[in-house]
Amino acid sequence: MTGQTRSIAPLRPAPLAVLGRGDAARRLRTLALLLPAILLALLFLYYPLVFIVQMSFTEGSSFLSPGGPIATLANYALIGGRYLPNLLVTLQLALLATIVDLIFGFPFAYIFVRKVRYRTPVRALMVFPMFGALYIAFGMRFILLPGGPATPVLQALGIASTDALFSLPSVVFAMSIFTFPFMVLNIGTALGNVDPTLEEAAACLGARPWQTFRRIVLPLTRAGTVAGALTVFGWSIGTFAEPLLLGSANEQRALAWTVYQRGVVQTDYGLSTAMGVVLLGVAFVVTYLSLRYSRGALVE
Amino acid sequence: MRSSPALPASPLPAGSRPPAAARRPRLSSRRLWDALSHAYIWAVLVVFILPFLALVGFSFTTRPGEAGVVTNYGYVLDTFGDNLLWSLKISGLTLLINTLVSLPAAYAIVRHSFPGKRLLFSVLTLPLYVPGAVIGISLVLTYNFTYHLTTSMWGLVLAMALGTFPLMLTPVVVALKDLPVIFEEASACLGATRWQTYRRIVLPLIGPGVSAGLLLCFIIVFNEYLVTLFVHPPGLTTAPLRVFNQIRTAGLAPTTAALAVTMQLISLAAVLLFFRLFGARHLKGTYLL
Repeated sequence: MTGQTRSIAPLRPAPLAVLGRGDAARRLRTLALLLPAILLALLFLYYPLVFIVQMSFTEGSSFLSPGGPIATLANYALIGGRYLPNLLVTLQLALLATIVDLIFGFPFAYIFVRKVRYRTPVRALMVFPMFGALYIAFGMRFILLPGGPATPVLQALGIASTDALFSLPSVVFAMSIFTFPFMVLNIGTALGNVDPTLEEAAACLGARPWQTFRRIVLPLTRAGTVAGALTVFGWSIGTFAEPLLLGSANEQRALAWTVYQRGVVQTDYGLSTAMGVVLLGVAFVVTYLSLRYSRGALVE
Repeated sequence: MRSSPALPASPLPAGSRPPAAARRPRLSSRRLWDALSHAYIWAVLVVFILPFLALVGFSFTTRPGEAGVVTNYGYVLDTFGDNLLWSLKISGLTLLINTLVSLPAAYAIVRHSFPGKRLLFSVLTLPLYVPGAVIGISLVLTYNFTYHLTTSMWGLVLAMALGTFPLMLTPVVVALKDLPVIFEEASACLGATRWQTYRRIVLPLIGPGVSAGLLLCFIIVFNEYLVTLFVHPPGLTTAPLRVFNQIRTAGLAPTTAALAVTMQLISLAAVLLFFRLFGARHLKGTYLL
Protein backbone atom coordinates (compact mmCIF):
# COMPACT_ATOMS: atom_id res chain seq x y z
CA MET A 1 0.00 0.00 0.00
CA THR A 2 2.74 2.40 0.92
CA GLY A 3 4.61 1.31 -2.16
CA GLN A 4 1.65 2.40 -4.23
CA THR A 5 1.61 5.84 -2.66
CA ARG A 6 5.32 6.21 -3.16
CA SER A 7 5.20 5.35 -6.82
CA ILE A 8 2.59 8.03 -7.34
CA ALA A 9 4.48 10.68 -5.43
CA PRO A 10 6.99 11.66 -8.17
CA LEU A 11 4.18 12.35 -10.64
CA ARG A 12 2.55 14.83 -8.29
CA PRO A 13 3.26 18.37 -9.55
CA ALA A 14 3.42 19.95 -6.09
CA PRO A 15 -0.17 21.19 -6.29
CA LEU A 16 -0.35 23.12 -3.07
CA ALA A 17 2.82 25.06 -3.72
CA VAL A 18 1.31 26.29 -6.97
CA LEU A 19 -1.98 27.27 -5.40
CA GLY A 20 -0.65 28.41 -2.05
CA ARG A 21 -0.35 32.00 -1.09
CA GLY A 22 2.93 31.28 0.56
CA ASP A 23 4.27 29.24 3.36
CA ALA A 24 2.89 31.30 6.22
CA ALA A 25 -0.75 30.44 5.58
CA ARG A 26 0.10 26.81 5.15
CA ARG A 27 2.09 26.67 8.36
CA LEU A 28 -0.80 28.30 10.17
CA ARG A 29 -3.24 25.71 8.85
CA THR A 30 -0.96 22.86 9.89
CA LEU A 31 -0.67 24.34 13.33
CA ALA A 32 -4.42 24.81 13.62
CA LEU A 33 -5.00 21.17 12.73
CA LEU A 34 -2.45 19.96 15.23
CA LEU A 35 -3.32 22.37 18.02
CA PRO A 36 -6.11 20.42 19.79
CA ALA A 37 -3.98 17.29 20.05
CA ILE A 38 -0.92 19.23 21.20
CA LEU A 39 -2.95 21.12 23.78
CA LEU A 40 -4.52 17.95 25.14
CA ALA A 41 -1.13 16.28 25.48
CA LEU A 42 0.54 19.35 26.99
CA LEU A 43 -2.14 20.25 29.49
CA PHE A 44 -3.11 16.78 30.61
CA LEU A 45 0.09 14.79 30.27
CA TYR A 46 3.24 16.86 30.08
CA TYR A 47 2.37 19.61 32.52
CA PRO A 48 1.10 17.12 35.17
CA LEU A 49 4.25 15.05 34.71
CA VAL A 50 6.46 18.09 35.26
CA PHE A 51 4.29 18.89 38.26
CA ILE A 52 4.81 15.50 39.89
CA VAL A 53 8.54 15.56 39.13
CA GLN A 54 8.78 18.88 40.99
CA MET A 55 6.65 17.56 43.78
CA SER A 56 8.71 14.42 44.18
CA PHE A 57 11.61 16.54 45.44
CA THR A 58 9.59 18.06 48.28
CA GLU A 59 8.74 16.69 51.67
CA GLY A 60 5.33 15.14 52.38
CA SER A 61 2.55 17.50 51.35
CA SER A 62 4.70 20.60 51.82
CA PHE A 63 4.70 21.47 48.11
CA LEU A 64 1.41 23.30 48.53
CA SER A 65 1.65 24.37 52.12
CA PRO A 66 1.63 28.12 52.86
CA GLY A 67 5.12 27.87 54.35
CA GLY A 68 6.52 26.99 50.94
CA PRO A 69 7.91 23.69 49.72
CA ILE A 70 10.64 21.99 51.69
CA ALA A 71 13.18 20.61 49.24
CA THR A 72 14.41 17.11 49.99
CA LEU A 73 15.79 14.02 48.38
CA ALA A 74 14.43 11.82 51.17
CA ASN A 75 11.66 10.41 48.98
CA TYR A 76 14.12 8.87 46.57
CA ALA A 77 16.25 7.67 49.46
CA LEU A 78 13.16 5.92 50.83
CA ILE A 79 12.52 4.22 47.51
CA GLY A 80 16.11 3.04 47.48
CA GLY A 81 15.79 1.86 51.06
CA ARG A 82 12.55 1.02 52.78
CA TYR A 83 10.53 0.76 49.58
CA LEU A 84 13.13 -1.06 47.53
CA PRO A 85 11.22 -4.37 47.90
CA ASN A 86 8.18 -2.66 46.34
CA LEU A 87 10.21 -1.67 43.29
CA LEU A 88 11.87 -5.07 43.05
CA VAL A 89 8.64 -7.03 43.30
CA THR A 90 7.13 -4.85 40.56
CA LEU A 91 10.06 -5.55 38.27
CA GLN A 92 10.00 -9.24 39.18
CA LEU A 93 6.30 -9.60 38.34
CA ALA A 94 6.74 -7.77 35.04
CA LEU A 95 9.74 -9.88 34.10
CA LEU A 96 8.01 -13.17 34.91
CA ALA A 97 4.89 -12.17 32.99
CA THR A 98 7.08 -11.24 30.01
CA ILE A 99 8.83 -14.61 30.08
CA VAL A 100 5.55 -16.54 30.29
CA ASP A 101 4.16 -14.51 27.38
CA LEU A 102 7.29 -15.12 25.35
CA ILE A 103 7.20 -18.88 25.88
CA PHE A 104 3.52 -19.25 25.01
CA GLY A 105 3.25 -16.31 22.63
CA PHE A 106 5.88 -17.26 20.06
CA PRO A 107 4.34 -20.62 19.07
CA PHE A 108 0.90 -19.03 19.15
CA ALA A 109 1.94 -16.22 16.80
CA TYR A 110 3.75 -18.64 14.50
CA ILE A 111 0.80 -21.01 14.17
CA PHE A 112 -1.63 -18.12 13.86
CA VAL A 113 0.26 -16.47 11.04
CA ARG A 114 1.26 -19.63 9.13
CA LYS A 115 -1.55 -22.09 9.65
CA VAL A 116 -4.78 -20.58 10.91
CA ARG A 117 -7.39 -19.73 8.32
CA TYR A 118 -10.29 -19.15 10.70
CA ARG A 119 -8.97 -15.82 11.89
CA THR A 120 -12.07 -13.91 12.81
CA PRO A 121 -13.16 -16.13 15.73
CA VAL A 122 -9.59 -16.21 17.02
CA ARG A 123 -9.42 -12.43 16.87
CA ALA A 124 -12.80 -12.11 18.56
CA LEU A 125 -11.65 -14.30 21.46
CA MET A 126 -8.32 -12.48 21.63
CA VAL A 127 -10.03 -9.24 22.53
CA PHE A 128 -11.21 -10.54 25.90
CA PRO A 129 -7.98 -9.62 27.73
CA MET A 130 -8.24 -6.10 26.32
CA PHE A 131 -11.37 -5.51 28.36
CA GLY A 132 -9.12 -5.09 31.31
CA ALA A 133 -7.02 -6.72 33.95
CA LEU A 134 -9.73 -6.14 36.52
CA TYR A 135 -12.13 -8.70 35.07
CA ILE A 136 -9.31 -11.20 34.58
CA ALA A 137 -8.21 -10.82 38.19
CA PHE A 138 -11.80 -11.06 39.38
CA GLY A 139 -12.44 -14.21 37.36
CA MET A 140 -9.17 -15.80 38.45
CA ARG A 141 -9.92 -15.02 42.06
CA PHE A 142 -13.26 -16.77 41.77
CA ILE A 143 -11.67 -19.77 40.03
CA LEU A 144 -8.99 -20.15 42.69
CA LEU A 145 -11.24 -19.51 45.66
CA PRO A 146 -11.30 -22.42 48.10
CA GLY A 147 -14.27 -24.48 46.96
CA GLY A 148 -14.19 -22.74 43.56
CA PRO A 149 -14.00 -24.42 40.13
CA ALA A 150 -10.25 -25.06 40.29
CA THR A 151 -10.31 -26.83 43.65
CA PRO A 152 -10.53 -30.42 42.30
CA VAL A 153 -7.70 -29.75 39.83
CA LEU A 154 -5.51 -28.26 42.53
CA GLN A 155 -6.27 -31.13 44.87
CA ALA A 156 -5.30 -33.60 42.18
CA LEU A 157 -1.99 -31.75 41.87
CA GLY A 158 -1.57 -31.72 45.61
CA ILE A 159 -1.71 -27.94 46.07
CA ALA A 160 -3.74 -26.42 48.86
CA SER A 161 -6.10 -23.90 47.30
CA THR A 162 -5.21 -21.26 49.88
CA ASP A 163 -1.64 -21.46 48.60
CA ALA A 164 -2.79 -21.08 45.03
CA LEU A 165 -5.02 -18.06 45.52
CA PHE A 166 -2.73 -15.52 47.15
CA SER A 167 0.53 -16.38 45.45
CA LEU A 168 3.07 -15.18 42.94
CA PRO A 169 2.15 -17.67 40.18
CA SER A 170 -1.51 -16.68 40.13
CA VAL A 171 -0.57 -12.98 39.83
CA VAL A 172 1.88 -13.73 37.03
CA PHE A 173 -0.68 -15.92 35.28
CA ALA A 174 -3.33 -13.19 35.33
CA MET A 175 -0.80 -10.58 34.19
CA SER A 176 0.38 -12.70 31.31
CA ILE A 177 -3.17 -13.30 30.11
CA PHE A 178 -3.70 -9.54 30.09
CA THR A 179 -0.60 -8.76 28.04
CA PHE A 180 -0.57 -11.85 25.79
CA PRO A 181 -2.18 -10.06 22.79
CA PHE A 182 0.58 -7.44 22.71
CA MET A 183 3.20 -10.14 22.47
CA VAL A 184 1.32 -12.04 19.76
CA LEU A 185 0.72 -8.82 17.84
CA ASN A 186 4.39 -7.85 17.76
CA ILE A 187 5.72 -11.29 16.90
CA GLY A 188 2.89 -11.90 14.42
CA THR A 189 3.63 -8.67 12.55
CA ALA A 190 7.30 -9.60 12.29
CA LEU A 191 6.43 -13.13 11.12
CA GLY A 192 3.98 -11.79 8.56
CA ASN A 193 6.90 -9.99 6.91
CA VAL A 194 8.97 -13.18 6.64
CA ASP A 195 8.39 -14.96 3.35
CA PRO A 196 7.26 -18.55 4.07
CA THR A 197 9.25 -19.73 1.04
CA LEU A 198 12.42 -19.10 3.03
CA GLU A 199 11.39 -21.83 5.45
CA GLU A 200 10.46 -24.12 2.59
CA ALA A 201 13.81 -23.47 0.97
CA ALA A 202 15.56 -24.37 4.22
CA ALA A 203 13.52 -27.57 4.44
CA CYS A 204 14.31 -28.44 0.82
CA LEU A 205 18.01 -27.97 1.54
CA GLY A 206 17.74 -30.56 4.27
CA ALA A 207 17.38 -28.47 7.41
CA ARG A 208 15.49 -30.08 10.23
CA PRO A 209 12.50 -28.13 11.61
CA TRP A 210 14.49 -27.09 14.67
CA GLN A 211 17.37 -25.88 12.50
CA THR A 212 14.97 -23.92 10.29
CA PHE A 213 13.47 -22.33 13.36
CA ARG A 214 16.79 -21.44 14.94
CA ARG A 215 18.64 -20.31 11.82
CA ILE A 216 15.84 -18.75 9.76
CA VAL A 217 12.73 -17.86 11.72
CA LEU A 218 14.25 -16.68 14.96
CA PRO A 219 16.85 -14.27 13.50
CA LEU A 220 14.34 -12.78 11.06
CA THR A 221 11.78 -12.10 13.77
CA ARG A 222 14.17 -10.97 16.45
CA ALA A 223 13.20 -7.29 16.22
CA GLY A 224 9.51 -8.09 16.63
CA THR A 225 10.14 -10.48 19.48
CA VAL A 226 12.28 -7.99 21.37
CA ALA A 227 9.76 -5.22 20.75
CA GLY A 228 6.95 -7.50 21.95
CA ALA A 229 8.81 -8.44 25.11
CA LEU A 230 9.57 -4.81 25.88
CA THR A 231 5.98 -3.75 25.24
CA VAL A 232 4.69 -6.45 27.55
CA PHE A 233 7.22 -5.48 30.19
CA GLY A 234 6.25 -1.83 29.90
CA TRP A 235 2.57 -2.63 30.31
CA SER A 236 3.22 -4.99 33.19
CA ILE A 237 5.09 -2.62 35.47
CA GLY A 238 1.89 -0.61 35.94
CA THR A 239 0.04 -3.69 37.19
CA PHE A 240 -2.62 -2.81 39.72
CA ALA A 241 -5.62 -5.10 40.07
CA GLU A 242 -3.83 -8.43 39.70
CA PRO A 243 -1.46 -8.17 42.70
CA LEU A 244 -4.20 -6.57 44.73
CA LEU A 245 -6.79 -9.28 44.13
CA LEU A 246 -4.58 -12.33 43.65
CA GLY A 247 -1.32 -11.62 45.42
CA SER A 248 -0.03 -12.26 48.91
CA ALA A 249 1.20 -9.37 51.06
CA ASN A 250 4.46 -9.49 49.14
CA GLU A 251 2.93 -9.02 45.67
CA GLN A 252 0.48 -6.43 46.97
CA ARG A 253 3.44 -4.11 47.46
CA ALA A 254 3.59 -3.54 43.69
CA LEU A 255 4.37 0.11 43.01
CA ALA A 256 1.19 1.22 41.29
CA TRP A 257 -0.92 0.24 44.26
CA THR A 258 1.55 1.85 46.70
CA VAL A 259 1.32 5.07 44.67
CA TYR A 260 -2.42 5.07 45.19
CA GLN A 261 -2.16 4.21 48.89
CA ARG A 262 0.47 6.83 49.70
CA GLY A 263 -0.81 9.53 47.39
CA VAL A 264 -4.58 9.45 47.50
CA VAL A 265 -5.31 7.70 50.77
CA GLN A 266 -2.50 8.97 52.98
CA THR A 267 -1.76 12.22 51.06
CA ASP A 268 2.00 11.78 51.30
CA TYR A 269 2.43 13.55 47.97
CA GLY A 270 6.21 13.69 48.03
CA LEU A 271 6.72 9.96 48.37
CA SER A 272 3.91 8.87 46.05
CA THR A 273 4.98 11.21 43.26
CA ALA A 274 8.57 10.03 43.65
CA MET A 275 7.31 6.46 43.16
CA GLY A 276 5.32 7.64 40.17
CA VAL A 277 8.46 9.22 38.71
CA VAL A 278 10.41 5.99 39.17
CA LEU A 279 7.62 4.02 37.50
CA LEU A 280 7.56 6.56 34.70
CA GLY A 281 11.33 6.36 34.28
CA VAL A 282 11.22 2.59 33.87
CA ALA A 283 8.31 2.86 31.43
CA PHE A 284 10.13 5.47 29.33
CA VAL A 285 13.35 3.50 29.09
CA VAL A 286 11.44 0.39 28.07
CA THR A 287 9.35 2.32 25.53
CA TYR A 288 12.40 3.98 24.03
CA LEU A 289 14.10 0.62 23.55
CA SER A 290 10.95 -0.97 22.15
CA LEU A 291 10.42 1.82 19.61
CA ARG A 292 14.02 1.54 18.53
CA TYR A 293 13.60 -2.18 17.94
CA SER A 294 10.19 -2.15 16.31
CA ARG A 295 9.78 -0.80 12.84
CA GLY A 296 8.60 2.60 14.00
CA ALA A 297 8.10 3.50 10.35
CA LEU A 298 4.51 4.63 10.67
CA VAL A 299 5.44 8.25 10.09
CA GLU A 300 8.32 9.11 7.82
CA MET B 1 -18.07 -13.58 8.97
CA ARG B 2 -15.75 -12.34 6.28
CA SER B 3 -12.42 -14.02 5.90
CA SER B 4 -9.30 -11.93 5.81
CA PRO B 5 -7.99 -11.41 2.26
CA ALA B 6 -4.33 -11.44 3.23
CA LEU B 7 -3.83 -15.11 3.97
CA PRO B 8 -0.29 -16.41 3.82
CA ALA B 9 0.45 -18.72 0.95
CA SER B 10 -0.03 -22.30 2.01
CA PRO B 11 2.86 -24.62 1.24
CA LEU B 12 0.48 -26.96 -0.55
CA PRO B 13 -2.81 -26.27 -2.29
CA ALA B 14 -5.46 -27.34 0.17
CA GLY B 15 -7.18 -29.74 -2.20
CA SER B 16 -4.13 -31.85 -2.92
CA ARG B 17 -3.38 -32.68 0.68
CA PRO B 18 -5.58 -35.64 1.72
CA PRO B 19 -4.59 -38.14 -1.03
CA ALA B 20 -0.89 -37.28 -0.72
CA ALA B 21 -1.08 -37.66 3.03
CA ALA B 22 -2.66 -41.08 2.68
CA ARG B 23 0.24 -42.27 0.57
CA ARG B 24 3.33 -40.79 2.14
CA PRO B 25 4.27 -41.10 5.82
CA ARG B 26 6.22 -37.79 5.74
CA LEU B 27 3.02 -35.92 5.21
CA SER B 28 1.02 -37.78 7.81
CA SER B 29 3.42 -36.68 10.53
CA ARG B 30 2.88 -33.21 9.16
CA ARG B 31 -0.82 -33.74 9.61
CA LEU B 32 -0.34 -34.71 13.22
CA TRP B 33 1.76 -31.60 13.65
CA ASP B 34 -1.03 -29.51 12.15
CA ALA B 35 -3.60 -31.03 14.47
CA LEU B 36 -1.39 -30.34 17.47
CA SER B 37 -0.91 -26.75 16.31
CA HIS B 38 -4.60 -26.10 16.09
CA ALA B 39 -5.16 -27.80 19.42
CA TYR B 40 -2.56 -25.48 20.92
CA ILE B 41 -4.27 -22.38 19.53
CA TRP B 42 -7.60 -23.43 20.97
CA ALA B 43 -6.13 -24.45 24.30
CA VAL B 44 -4.59 -21.00 24.68
CA LEU B 45 -7.82 -19.34 23.64
CA VAL B 46 -9.76 -21.35 26.21
CA VAL B 47 -7.34 -20.22 28.91
CA PHE B 48 -7.91 -16.69 27.64
CA ILE B 49 -11.62 -16.74 28.18
CA LEU B 50 -11.48 -18.90 31.29
CA PRO B 51 -11.80 -15.91 33.66
CA PHE B 52 -14.75 -14.67 31.64
CA LEU B 53 -16.44 -18.09 31.61
CA ALA B 54 -15.86 -18.39 35.34
CA LEU B 55 -17.55 -15.05 35.90
CA VAL B 56 -20.49 -16.12 33.72
CA GLY B 57 -20.81 -19.28 35.79
CA PHE B 58 -20.52 -17.33 39.00
CA SER B 59 -23.13 -14.80 37.93
CA PHE B 60 -25.56 -17.68 37.42
CA THR B 61 -25.20 -18.94 40.96
CA THR B 62 -27.53 -17.82 43.67
CA ARG B 63 -27.25 -17.36 47.35
CA PRO B 64 -29.60 -19.26 49.62
CA GLY B 65 -32.93 -17.50 49.85
CA GLU B 66 -32.63 -15.67 46.53
CA ALA B 67 -34.79 -16.38 43.55
CA GLY B 68 -32.30 -17.03 40.75
CA VAL B 69 -30.28 -15.83 37.79
CA VAL B 70 -32.83 -13.25 36.79
CA THR B 71 -32.37 -11.55 40.12
CA ASN B 72 -28.64 -11.14 39.62
CA TYR B 73 -29.04 -9.43 36.27
CA GLY B 74 -32.11 -7.59 37.47
CA TYR B 75 -29.98 -6.34 40.33
CA VAL B 76 -27.41 -5.09 37.82
CA LEU B 77 -29.99 -2.99 35.99
CA ASP B 78 -31.54 -1.89 39.23
CA THR B 79 -28.65 -1.02 41.51
CA PHE B 80 -25.82 -0.67 39.04
CA GLY B 81 -27.92 0.98 36.34
CA ASP B 82 -26.57 4.40 37.25
CA ASN B 83 -23.00 3.17 36.95
CA LEU B 84 -23.69 1.65 33.54
CA LEU B 85 -25.25 4.90 32.36
CA TRP B 86 -22.27 6.89 33.64
CA SER B 87 -19.91 4.54 31.82
CA LEU B 88 -21.81 4.97 28.58
CA LYS B 89 -21.98 8.73 28.98
CA ILE B 90 -18.26 9.09 29.79
CA SER B 91 -17.37 6.81 26.86
CA GLY B 92 -19.56 8.78 24.48
CA LEU B 93 -18.10 12.15 25.46
CA THR B 94 -14.57 10.76 25.31
CA LEU B 95 -15.14 9.39 21.82
CA LEU B 96 -16.45 12.79 20.73
CA ILE B 97 -13.36 14.59 22.06
CA ASN B 98 -11.05 11.95 20.61
CA THR B 99 -12.63 12.38 17.18
CA LEU B 100 -12.36 16.15 17.26
CA VAL B 101 -8.74 15.95 18.36
CA SER B 102 -7.42 13.03 16.31
CA LEU B 103 -8.93 13.58 12.84
CA PRO B 104 -7.35 17.00 12.20
CA ALA B 105 -4.06 15.95 13.79
CA ALA B 106 -3.84 12.77 11.70
CA TYR B 107 -4.58 14.75 8.51
CA ALA B 108 -1.85 17.26 9.28
CA ILE B 109 0.62 14.51 10.16
CA VAL B 110 0.07 12.60 6.93
CA ARG B 111 -0.69 15.28 4.35
CA HIS B 112 1.28 18.29 5.51
CA SER B 113 5.01 18.52 5.73
CA PHE B 114 6.61 20.23 8.69
CA PRO B 115 9.80 19.83 10.65
CA GLY B 116 9.89 17.48 13.62
CA LYS B 117 7.02 15.31 12.46
CA ARG B 118 8.44 12.09 13.83
CA LEU B 119 9.09 13.68 17.17
CA LEU B 120 5.59 15.13 17.30
CA PHE B 121 4.04 11.75 16.58
CA SER B 122 6.07 10.19 19.39
CA VAL B 123 5.09 13.00 21.72
CA LEU B 124 1.42 12.49 20.90
CA THR B 125 1.44 8.70 21.25
CA LEU B 126 3.42 8.72 24.48
CA PRO B 127 0.32 8.66 26.77
CA LEU B 128 -0.14 5.03 25.71
CA TYR B 129 3.11 4.07 27.37
CA VAL B 130 2.68 5.92 30.63
CA PRO B 131 1.45 3.57 33.37
CA GLY B 132 -2.14 4.26 34.41
CA ALA B 133 -1.22 4.91 38.02
CA VAL B 134 1.22 7.63 36.96
CA ILE B 135 -1.39 9.33 34.77
CA GLY B 136 -3.79 8.99 37.69
CA ILE B 137 -1.58 10.49 40.39
CA SER B 138 -0.32 13.31 38.18
CA LEU B 139 -3.83 14.25 37.07
CA VAL B 140 -5.44 14.04 40.49
CA LEU B 141 -2.78 16.37 41.90
CA THR B 142 -3.00 18.91 39.09
CA TYR B 143 -6.80 18.75 39.16
CA ASN B 144 -6.69 19.44 42.86
CA PHE B 145 -4.20 22.24 42.92
CA THR B 146 -4.03 23.82 39.49
CA TYR B 147 -7.07 23.12 37.32
CA HIS B 148 -9.73 22.73 40.01
CA LEU B 149 -11.48 20.04 38.02
CA THR B 150 -11.96 17.50 40.80
CA THR B 151 -15.69 17.90 41.13
CA SER B 152 -16.46 18.06 37.44
CA MET B 153 -17.31 15.20 35.12
CA TRP B 154 -15.09 16.84 32.49
CA GLY B 155 -12.00 16.12 34.50
CA LEU B 156 -12.69 12.42 34.12
CA VAL B 157 -13.63 12.78 30.44
CA LEU B 158 -10.45 14.70 29.63
CA ALA B 159 -8.34 12.17 31.52
CA MET B 160 -9.94 9.37 29.47
CA ALA B 161 -9.44 11.35 26.25
CA LEU B 162 -5.78 11.93 27.02
CA GLY B 163 -5.19 8.25 27.70
CA THR B 164 -6.94 6.99 24.58
CA PHE B 165 -6.71 9.54 21.76
CA PRO B 166 -3.47 7.97 20.47
CA LEU B 167 -5.44 4.77 19.96
CA MET B 168 -7.61 6.72 17.57
CA LEU B 169 -4.80 8.71 15.99
CA THR B 170 -2.83 5.63 14.92
CA PRO B 171 -5.46 3.81 12.82
CA VAL B 172 -6.50 7.09 11.18
CA VAL B 173 -2.89 7.85 10.29
CA VAL B 174 -2.56 4.34 8.83
CA ALA B 175 -5.77 4.73 6.83
CA LEU B 176 -4.71 8.13 5.47
CA LYS B 177 -1.30 6.83 4.47
CA ASP B 178 -2.96 4.00 2.57
CA LEU B 179 -5.16 6.46 0.69
CA PRO B 180 -3.53 7.72 -2.52
CA VAL B 181 -3.50 11.49 -2.66
CA ILE B 182 -4.84 11.60 -6.26
CA PHE B 183 -8.45 11.47 -5.04
CA GLU B 184 -7.99 14.69 -3.16
CA GLU B 185 -6.15 16.27 -6.07
CA ALA B 186 -8.89 15.28 -8.48
CA SER B 187 -11.48 16.72 -6.17
CA ALA B 188 -9.50 19.96 -5.83
CA CYS B 189 -9.10 20.17 -9.62
CA LEU B 190 -12.84 19.86 -10.00
CA GLY B 191 -13.27 22.90 -7.82
CA ALA B 192 -14.16 21.49 -4.42
CA THR B 193 -13.09 23.42 -1.39
CA ARG B 194 -10.81 21.82 1.15
CA TRP B 195 -13.67 21.16 3.53
CA GLN B 196 -15.83 19.63 0.77
CA THR B 197 -12.97 17.39 -0.28
CA TYR B 198 -12.43 16.29 3.27
CA ARG B 199 -16.09 15.63 3.99
CA ARG B 200 -17.10 14.03 0.70
CA ILE B 201 -13.91 12.22 -0.34
CA VAL B 202 -11.45 11.68 2.48
CA LEU B 203 -13.76 10.97 5.37
CA PRO B 204 -15.78 8.20 3.67
CA LEU B 205 -12.60 6.57 2.38
CA ILE B 206 -10.91 6.49 5.78
CA GLY B 207 -14.18 5.52 7.48
CA PRO B 208 -13.06 2.03 8.49
CA GLY B 209 -9.87 3.41 10.03
CA VAL B 210 -11.85 5.97 11.99
CA SER B 211 -14.24 3.27 13.15
CA ALA B 212 -11.34 1.07 14.23
CA GLY B 213 -10.08 3.95 16.36
CA LEU B 214 -13.52 4.53 17.83
CA LEU B 215 -13.86 0.84 18.65
CA LEU B 216 -10.49 0.66 20.42
CA CYS B 217 -11.17 3.81 22.40
CA PHE B 218 -14.63 2.60 23.35
CA ILE B 219 -13.56 -0.75 24.71
CA ILE B 220 -10.72 0.82 26.67
CA VAL B 221 -12.67 3.75 28.13
CA PHE B 222 -15.79 1.70 28.81
CA ASN B 223 -13.77 -0.75 30.92
CA GLU B 224 -11.26 1.65 32.47
CA TYR B 225 -11.07 1.58 36.27
CA LEU B 226 -7.54 2.62 37.21
CA VAL B 227 -7.29 6.26 36.14
CA THR B 228 -10.97 6.55 37.03
CA LEU B 229 -10.16 5.46 40.58
CA PHE B 230 -7.81 8.42 40.90
CA VAL B 231 -9.75 11.19 39.17
CA HIS B 232 -13.42 10.32 39.46
CA PRO B 233 -15.42 13.20 40.93
CA PRO B 234 -17.32 12.46 44.13
CA GLY B 235 -20.65 10.81 43.48
CA LEU B 236 -19.70 9.60 40.01
CA THR B 237 -18.85 5.91 39.88
CA THR B 238 -18.47 4.22 36.52
CA ALA B 239 -19.36 0.55 36.21
CA PRO B 240 -15.79 -0.87 36.17
CA LEU B 241 -14.92 1.25 39.20
CA ARG B 242 -18.05 -0.08 40.87
CA VAL B 243 -16.86 -3.63 40.18
CA PHE B 244 -13.52 -2.73 41.75
CA ASN B 245 -15.12 -1.12 44.80
CA GLN B 246 -17.55 -4.00 45.27
CA ILE B 247 -14.73 -6.55 45.26
CA ARG B 248 -12.71 -4.45 47.68
CA THR B 249 -15.52 -3.79 50.12
CA ALA B 250 -18.08 -6.57 49.71
CA GLY B 251 -15.90 -9.47 48.57
CA LEU B 252 -17.00 -11.68 45.70
CA ALA B 253 -20.71 -11.55 44.99
CA PRO B 254 -22.68 -13.04 42.07
CA THR B 255 -24.22 -9.65 41.41
CA THR B 256 -20.78 -8.08 40.92
CA ALA B 257 -19.91 -10.92 38.56
CA ALA B 258 -23.13 -10.22 36.69
CA LEU B 259 -22.09 -6.58 36.29
CA ALA B 260 -18.63 -7.58 35.04
CA VAL B 261 -20.20 -10.03 32.58
CA THR B 262 -22.60 -7.35 31.35
CA MET B 263 -19.72 -4.95 30.73
CA GLN B 264 -17.71 -7.55 28.83
CA LEU B 265 -20.70 -8.60 26.76
CA ILE B 266 -21.40 -5.00 25.73
CA SER B 267 -17.75 -4.58 24.77
CA LEU B 268 -17.75 -7.87 22.86
CA ALA B 269 -20.91 -6.83 21.03
CA ALA B 270 -19.13 -3.66 19.91
CA VAL B 271 -16.19 -5.70 18.62
CA LEU B 272 -18.36 -8.21 16.78
CA LEU B 273 -20.42 -5.42 15.26
CA PHE B 274 -17.22 -3.86 13.97
CA PHE B 275 -16.03 -7.18 12.49
CA ARG B 276 -19.39 -7.58 10.80
CA LEU B 277 -19.47 -4.08 9.34
CA PHE B 278 -15.85 -3.50 8.38
CA GLY B 279 -13.91 -6.73 8.76
CA ALA B 280 -11.09 -7.46 11.16
CA ARG B 281 -8.36 -6.28 8.78
CA HIS B 282 -8.90 -2.63 9.65
CA LEU B 283 -7.57 -3.28 13.11
CA LYS B 284 -4.27 -4.27 11.56
CA GLY B 285 -1.36 -2.33 12.92
CA THR B 286 -3.28 -1.26 15.99
CA TYR B 287 -3.82 -3.70 18.79
CA LEU B 288 -5.13 -6.85 17.19
CA LEU B 289 -3.52 -8.69 14.35
